[in-house]
Amino acid sequence: MIMNQSFSSLLGHKSKLFTSVVVVGMLAGCGGSDKKPTVQPEPEPNPAPVKPAKDHSGLTPLTASEIISGEHLAGGAVTSFIFNSEAFEQRALAVAGNFSQDANFTAGDHIFRTPHDGMGPLMNAASCQGCHLKDGRGVVPASPVEAMRSMFLRIGDSQGNPDPVYGGQLQTFAVQSFTTSDRDAGLPKAQGSINGDELYGEAFAFIKYETINGQYADGESYQLRKPTYYVKDLSFGEFNGDVRLSPRVTPSVFGAGLLEVIKADTIVALADPDDSNNDGISGRAVFVNETMTGEQKLGRFGYKSTNPTVLQQSAGAYRGDMGITNSLFKQEPCTELQVACLSVAEQETTVGEDIDITDRELALVEFYTRVLAVPARRGFDTTTEQWQADVTAGRTLFFNSGCVDCHTPRHVTGEAPGSLLGEVMLSTLLPDAEPLDYLANQTIYPYTDLLLHDMGGSCKITRELADGASCTSGNSCMYVQRCEGLADDRPEGQADGREWKTPALWGLGLVKTVNPKATFLHDGRARTIAEAILWHGGEASNSQKAFVNLSKVERDQLLSFLNSL
Amino acid sequence: MSVKKLAIASLVAAVLTGCNGDDGDNGIAGLDGLKGADGANGVSTFVKRQDVLTTNANIAYAVYSDSLITAQNLRDDLAALVANPTEQTFAQAKDAWLASREPYGQTEVYRFRSGPIDALKEDGTIGVEGDGKEGRINAWPLAEAIIDYVAPAVNGSAQGDVVISGSIITNAADYPTINKDTIADMFEHGEDEANVTTGYHAIEFLLWGQDLNLDATTGDGGTRDASGGQRPVTDYSMTACTSGTGTPADVSVCTRRGQYLLAAADLLIEDLAAVTTAWEPGVEGNHYANFVAGGDESLGLMLGGMGRLSFGELAGERINIALTTNSQEDEHSCFSDNTHRDIFLNAKGVQNSYLGRYVRVDGEVIEGASLHDLLVVEKNHELANDLRGALEKTMASAAVIDTKAKTGVPFDNLIQQSVSQPNVVAVIAALVKQTDQIELAAQVLNVETADLRDDTDQDI
Repeated sequence: MIMNQSFSSLLGHKSKLFTSVVVVGMLAGCGGSDKKPTVQPEPEPNPAPVKPAKDHSGLTPLTASEIISGEHLAGGAVTSFIFNSEAFEQRALAVAGNFSQDANFTAGDHIFRTPHDGMGPLMNAASCQGCHLKDGRGVVPASPVEAMRSMFLRIGDSQGNPDPVYGGQLQTFAVQSFTTSDRDAGLPKAQGSINGDELYGEAFAFIKYETINGQYADGESYQLRKPTYYVKDLSFGEFNGDVRLSPRVTPSVFGAGLLEVIKADTIVALADPDDSNNDGISGRAVFVNETMTGEQKLGRFGYKSTNPTVLQQSAGAYRGDMGITNSLFKQEPCTELQVACLSVAEQETTVGEDIDITDRELALVEFYTRVLAVPARRGFDTTTEQWQADVTAGRTLFFNSGCVDCHTPRHVTGEAPGSLLGEVMLSTLLPDAEPLDYLANQTIYPYTDLLLHDMGGSCKITRELADGASCTSGNSCMYVQRCEGLADDRPEGQADGREWKTPALWGLGLVKTVNPKATFLHDGRARTIAEAILWHGGEASNSQKAFVNLSKVERDQLLSFLNSL
Repeated sequence: MSVKKLAIASLVAAVLTGCNGDDGDNGIAGLDGLKGADGANGVSTFVKRQDVLTTNANIAYAVYSDSLITAQNLRDDLAALVANPTEQTFAQAKDAWLASREPYGQTEVYRFRSGPIDALKEDGTIGVEGDGKEGRINAWPLAEAIIDYVAPAVNGSAQGDVVISGSIITNAADYPTINKDTIADMFEHGEDEANVTTGYHAIEFLLWGQDLNLDATTGDGGTRDASGGQRPVTDYSMTACTSGTGTPADVSVCTRRGQYLLAAADLLIEDLAAVTTAWEPGVEGNHYANFVAGGDESLGLMLGGMGRLSFGELAGERINIALTTNSQEDEHSCFSDNTHRDIFLNAKGVQNSYLGRYVRVDGEVIEGASLHDLLVVEKNHELANDLRGALEKTMASAAVIDTKAKTGVPFDNLIQQSVSQPNVVAVIAALVKQTDQIELAAQVLNVETADLRDDTDQDI
């Protein structure tokens, strides 16, 4: 309560400055067709007076040349200034200053990082934090013999259906890996669960990387690591004959509450499904079912925009990743054909209609996730209000290379209603939750359009023995997925096998501060930000080429900019 | 820690002794008390804001010093246990652990205020939240499965993610040496915060072992008994080593368990020493000096720490989650069943901060200018009295569960339905009420309870 007052004064001050921003230089709109880096043209002498353009949010468009006041406040009022290894797990300042909201955050944090009773029987991790490491990204296994702990493979068929036996994702572990000192006890075992009397993780996936050599236009060489995905030790027998796999590294979670309340119509305004402006970029907005209301809402979460809200994404992860049933998803993470899974589930204390996590606990986790703050930009001197020169130059390159055509820098949030589950009190849940005002009407800089884009590529799945020889069945006959480019070739929801939702870039430069082992892109193949850019294809091909054509100095400037996010 | 340093702390505090906030209406003695609101009528209630900060800093130094001293005593008793594992040395080691928790519990009010416990960097300067060693000192729930053997399916979870094969103690191949660097490296291993391998609770687990009482959540419908963990002293035996009663183990396992115990104590002492040094009075530019000179910003953080500990940390995470989940794993000191002391002492720490008074382990009283005095001086007699009353009510409620635990019904029994949940609920309610009063105090004193420094620095 005490904080709210000072907040409104802070924000009042900020908004005044926003409106007083003087527009200089040309009013470059997003989505120009020329993706090559260009020199900013000199303004025409005595230009004809033009009505100032508005961007999708109704604001004066950002330009490549000028950084406006407030750009360092990536999350608006929900920005934090802590840049150490805990940078991604900070509460919104308005929460810190309100003892009862602070208590909800603390409780939500506890639940987020603590294993929950009733987990499993099949699962990928024991707690949210077990994958969203320090609320940041997961990691790829250090070697092919190490099990995936904060990444997994989604599974299905070419039509987007789940596998009839394995469902929609491969759970690497059975619950005993987390309830005993023997981490290996629940790892998959070929045919191990097929008789229904013993339960093991579903299958063991591992990665082998092959080095790809490439060259920037200036002759400097680079190396990328191209993944091949192998799946062995199928505990419940063979996959469906038309199997599709999609590897996913856990993304970070902070800022999700802001992304959730960006006005949907402003996102839709950015979509160009038929590429009517002929810029080679055809972002698609998709509408998905909100489980609790049955309404169709803009998809915002998941690598393929399959979920509309933080709540639904969290509830889905509880069920699918941890085996914690909840009021949104009441089924244990077993398919009807997984008898061993179902019978272990029957031994949980909460079975059938009894769910594992209460609505109040789920609402606490939802609240925690929604109010996690976004780190402020670095490279900005708050005393002199000056940006580092390389960051400024890099920003210009980012704009002029067309990166902003998908990684839309700025959005404005709309209203931020309270949880659909209700208002969390210390021991109860009351109906009609109060809105979270500090998330509402914020100008934020997530660098995403939240749209689906065709990123190019294709995949092929084969069956191979360890020595690479072809095979058709048997315990040692692995499934092997090789892809060109970023495609996973697995349709999901309304996204096809080449489409991915543009991820937010805020916090990018702190990813390795939070977790030195973290890597980039949906499957963590990119060891550096530069590698991540180089992997871009499909609709991003022109921007990727622009990057390759930059000089060494310019590339470093661009990376300085990205590291300041 | 030298006797001289402690003496200085006491001296500083002694100078400030003797303030009392009775206004003659609602104060300590009620209408029988002397009018003393402004110090003008003969009763010394006049204090300045900086006096309150000084007392608060003096208490910080004293209570962290006590934590360090008792941790060193604990280390001695652990060494005695490892050298000669008998029922007697085992009991002494457990007593030393319990004794070490008494001052530490009262330090926790110094959290959530960007102080040394949360923000002290390796170089001794104060950084930001998360730079400090609080997690390494006192994090819970513990990842017991990474440390030592656990029984399967206890309370559904053994904590900690699957990181290593076996446990550190049993896996000599991957962890040939166990010292404080080993266990510090494994803390939050793989950046997973569930991987807690150090601090008070690691020592607690290695002394008591898992509390394998019946748990309502296992569905057997039983009532927990009143005992804590049942680790046998033979887990440290050099002649008949076990890993749990009736489970023989190679003597190397007991050796390594002893090494782990001492390594955890060594690391704890190192971390506590750093925090204590940061609060040492009379050192130019250290946290003590900066805090005392910090004016209203410091006062706000002090109240913020009191409020955030009262509500979010204590009422919410430490009591309410254990209560609503009826889970021993969510109980703070679950191995030793000492959670009633954690609760009592955390609450006591808040009261200490308000009254400007702390009783040291050796009985010496550190006392000085208090927030209570300040509120009275600044003409908020009624609020001063309400807040004092709210804190007393909390302490009275906490005393009930403390007494029940000491007389045979520990916290993990109290949280069970149909036992004594009302006693636990009463503590939560009192803590919530006192937080409201703390918030009001921050309002009338016109101070910010959250750290806005980074944000307000900027001309946004």
